[in-house]
Amino acid sequence: MTRKIRKAAVIGSGVMGGGIAALLASAGVKTLLLDIVPFDLKEAEKTNPVARNRIAKAGLDNVLMSRPALLMQSKDADLISIGNLEDDFDKLADCDWIVEVVVENLKVKQDLLKRIEPVRKPGAIISSNTSGIPLKSMSEGLSGEFKQHFLGTHFFNPVRYMKLLEIIPGEETLADVLAFMADYGERVMGKGIVWAKDTPNFVGNRIGVQGMVKTMQLMLEDGMTIPEVDALFGPAMGRPKTAMFKTADLVGLDTLFHVAKNTYDLVPDDEARDDFVMPEFVSKMIEGKMLGKKTKAGFYKTDLTPEWKKIRKVIDPATLDHAEYGKVDLPCLAAAKAAKSLPEKMKAVVFGDDKGARFAWKAVASNLIYAANRIPEISDTIVEIDNAMRWGFNFEMGPFETWDAIGVEDAVAKMEAEGLAVPEAVKSMLAAGNHSFYRLENGKPYFYDFSTGSYQPVKISENIISLAGLKADGKTVKACKSASLVDIGDDVFCLEFHTKMNAINGEIVDFMAEGLEYVDANGAGLVIGNQAGGMPGAFSAGGDLAFMAGLAKEGKYAEIDAFLKKGQTGMQQVRYASFPVVAAPYGLTLGGGCEVCLGAADKIVAHSELYMGLVEIGVGLLPGGGGCLNLWKKMTGTIPGPVTDVDLAKFFIPTFMAIAMAKVSMSAAESRANGFLGPQDRIVFNRDYLVGEAKKEVIKMVDEGYAPPVKRPIQVLGAAAQGMIDAELFNMQSAKFVSEYDAFLAKRIAYVISGGDVRTNSAIDEEIILNLEREAFVDFWKQEKTVARVEHMLTTGKPLRN
Amino acid sequence: MRDAYIVSSVRTPGCRRGKGALKDTRPDDLLAFIMKAAVEKTGKLEPKDIDDVMIGCSFPEAEQGLNIGRLATQIAGFPITVSGATVNRFCSSGLEAIALSSLRVMAGWSEVTMGGGVESMTYVPMGGNLPRPHPEHAKAHADLYASMGITAENVANRYKVTREDQDAFAYESQMKAAKAQKEGLYTEIVPTPAAKYVLQDNGTYKRETFIQDFDDGVRDTTTKEGLAKLRAVFAVNGSVTAGNSSQTTDGAAATMIASGDAVKKYGLKPIARLRMYTTVGCEPDEMGVGPAVAIPKLLKLANMKASDIGLWEINEAFASQALYSIRTIGIEDQMDRININGGAIALGHPLGCTGAKLCATLLANMRRKGVKYGVESMCIGGGMGAAALFELCD
Repeated sequence: MTRKIRKAAVIGSGVMGGGIAALLASAGVKTLLLDIVPFDLKEAEKTNPVARNRIAKAGLDNVLMSRPALLMQSKDADLISIGNLEDDFDKLADCDWIVEVVVENLKVKQDLLKRIEPVRKPGAIISSNTSGIPLKSMSEGLSGEFKQHFLGTHFFNPVRYMKLLEIIPGEETLADVLAFMADYGERVMGKGIVWAKDTPNFVGNRIGVQGMVKTMQLMLEDGMTIPEVDALFGPAMGRPKTAMFKTADLVGLDTLFHVAKNTYDLVPDDEARDDFVMPEFVSKMIEGKMLGKKTKAGFYKTDLTPEWKKIRKVIDPATLDHAEYGKVDLPCLAAAKAAKSLPEKMKAVVFGDDKGARFAWKAVASNLIYAANRIPEISDTIVEIDNAMRWGFNFEMGPFETWDAIGVEDAVAKMEAEGLAVPEAVKSMLAAGNHSFYRLENGKPYFYDFSTGSYQPVKISENIISLAGLKADGKTVKACKSASLVDIGDDVFCLEFHTKMNAINGEIVDFMAEGLEYVDANGAGLVIGNQAGGMPGAFSAGGDLAFMAGLAKEGKYAEIDAFLKKGQTGMQQVRYASFPVVAAPYGLTLGGGCEVCLGAADKIVAHSELYMGLVEIGVGLLPGGGGCLNLWKKMTGTIPGPVTDVDLAKFFIPTFMAIAMAKVSMSAAESRANGFLGPQDRIVFNRDYLVGEAKKEVIKMVDEGYAPPVKRPIQVLGAAAQGMIDAELFNMQSAKFVSEYDAFLAKRIAYVISGGDVRTNSAIDEEIILNLEREAFVDFWKQEKTVARVEHMLTTGKPLRN
Repeated sequence: MRDAYIVSSVRTPGCRRGKGALKDTRPDDLLAFIMKAAVEKTGKLEPKDIDDVMIGCSFPEAEQGLNIGRLATQIAGFPITVSGATVNRFCSSGLEAIALSSLRVMAGWSEVTMGGGVESMTYVPMGGNLPRPHPEHAKAHADLYASMGITAENVANRYKVTREDQDAFAYESQMKAAKAQKEGLYTEIVPTPAAKYVLQDNGTYKRETFIQDFDDGVRDTTTKEGLAKLRAVFAVNGSVTAGNSSQTTDGAAATMIASGDAVKKYGLKPIARLRMYTTVGCEPDEMGVGPAVAIPKLLKLANMKASDIGLWEINEAFASQALYSIRTIGIEDQMDRININGGAIALGHPLGCTGAKLCATLLANMRRKGVKYGVESMCIGGGMGAAALFELCD
């Protein structure tokens, strides 16, 4: 039997239910979103379907209003239909997957599942998004067939952005159901799967909350302040900027408290059960309705002065008063800041000898030990725990990766010296001469398996190509400091950027030419992609602005022109190369990064989280690496042959607006709506699949008998465009929607995209637009206001409007 | 020159662009209908008696292109001998058409003519489908193509017309229109067949017809507070809002003109005469001042004073420009004679139709009130004003 999700149902339209429905709809799945009929209906409303669906409607409205957006594009909401659990319950019979996300109450969930049992179609999968209630209790008394199709699918909030999906098999769940859901979650919904067991709060929350609550306890014991704790447990330890307490404010203190208490209640034999007892002051905060962001006051609070100035304050656990706070000054943090790599930073923090470091060590050590002791209780392997912390909490490293980073032997020695109980499994790992939880063999990652006492390969999907792994296996065929060419098998190569934010510099431009030659001689095709980390990460955040600013400062305009010319030529050579090229952008794909995708590739295979745009005008420039030419080509390239008499103005305006307004998409779906992705381009939900999927497209094109595109003159709007835009800019400038300089830049951009001083609807050589791009680019650099915009961006990271 | 008598002047309702009752009715259908209605209204004339038709249209292209003035005579079923032309002077096009048709009679070249106007802003957008400002000219003089909203802001800013005053003016327009509608004062409207596309039981659409007999942009629920809350749409920190601007509208209007001989021959009842018509240019980026220059020119031509005029129809393209014009002419103390049944803020401004529409409205009001002299005026995109003097026949 081939399983399919033709239609899904989400029961419960709260934050999580709405989030799951939004993700399903974004992935193109028809979704039924149900919730209860309101209890407080007036007599007249009791027969009114609108009133009866009020709760589900509110849930859907919340989805539509949420920022950052839960839907990839708002029109995806068309795939969500709403209803209530009385009138629309029978509709569940059509659904292949029903996920319940109702209130965390065993009785309510049991009753719901009992009602679902007779309605569901045979074979339909039922899952629970519970974060704490045992599946076993939930499904008690249900049929064997039901239990065979019942499992836990635990998403994290916000569902679109958090990669973690914990899958919890029930005692009787069929293997094929589990395999299907894991594949579906990974492939269609783009999640990272962690296999959890049916234990309290599963993997992520069990380990994460132990870490948070224990750290709070230690903070009070050691007399640390909240800002100090957040400074220690932020980026210095490879964790998000929101660190511990700001994250707690985002999650909500009540939610956190609930998870901690639930764990405490359900793990009577846990050796660290007391680590789940929230400090008294947190309970008092909850009583005082200081729940975090949702009540506008939590551990932190932002006051606004009458002058709209923000004053950030933090709570004093002793008095529960919020007060202003200063910068944290701890020697271990200064050392971490100076350190280059994350392991070195971590070592600086946990092995320092100031009060902050001693505290951090205690907190970290307790969490590492706790995590190691949870195997095989909550999951079979350390990999699940590390993945859960990376994907569910946005840590750069999970506990075992952290342990490897700071040195297992050193850490264990310190633990033992301090009388901490080091887990037996870790001791025996070291005793057998194994120094780390992970190792690479031939580029493939292996983990130390506690149950067999040996290294086992980390299981990853066949769709995932790891560039790091291949490089470790010696598959790099060419490399420079900024980029590498990696053999990804089947005669396909991957051009990988690895600069800061993957910005494109001169070295990359030179390297592209070399890579091109190499692939031409030795390969079948090329993928342009990389796997730098981060949320949302950056395929390439643009061109190397500082480099060009340096040239401009010295008046080396000819060199700027030459640099652009080289870039443009390189891009055109790739475009018209003898082999297929697929770009695999994700995350920030701006400026030059966007130009590479538009200009060089036959096809784009994009991650669903794609923030793509030609944003050069923000720094007083225009796309000078073929962006103007290639966005125009992208917009007009799909006009069918027989449609010969089109009004090019209709194509010109969106192209011009995208560049002149620096339009950036907030998802790949939006990129498509903006015209940056065409009908042939693909969207992939799982970022780890991206290079693999791009490679598949290369191979497909080769199989189909690839012939490079033929360069032909392109039709442009010419002078007519300039009249139109000048007239419209007069209005925009009169209205003060744009500054005089914005208008100056925009007029020139219109001139470039329209092909310059040519008759309306002329067919011209591509190179003409490239020449116009370069001329304008260099002219812009000669303008004081462009230089000011660039300097502002380089020093503050923010655009300047002048 | 001979006298030219207006013997009927009618209009369709004005309905909201894209949303209103006429959104699915083609402009040529609207026009053909009102042309027939104008002939019928005379009670005596037949289409074959018409020598020529002049139709104003601001964007004579697409559904209102190909010389809609002639096409509509044939759609209306007029004999092939009835000729027709399309006239464009943007917002005074309809009035221009009536003036040209009157002149033709006055010159003795025709005995019976028709002047009118049409605009479906739903079918053909303001600005047209293919706007193509002149590239070289626009470099230095883009103001020639300034958007109407910007010109309204310019008038408000340069001549200090406050947001409060604009909103108050807009409120009055809505209230006057709502009252007139309730009292059935729009006697110049002919109930008009309108099209709609209706999903049938068999799952396909079918065009159906219904009768529309009222202006559907009037909002009797308008409040000053509500108007004050609207955001400026044309400029940052501006004062011109959707509430104090004219509505974009679909509509058509037509007026029959006959010579004295024809009046006698057919036994027609003359309503009024178009005595004077004039136009004048002004700065394109403040085209809204048009009436403020055209009306004094008209009065001078007629050797009359503002106080001689019993009724005014001054097109409310924007409250800012209408109010400025009223103040400049010095008739702010005669607000009870200006746009007495509301103006374009409530009733809509179907560009090329407006000149003909306001003629029908003005004459209906002059007859009802027994007013001897009435003036119609409007501003015109590109920087112009037009004004016409009508005299009621005894």
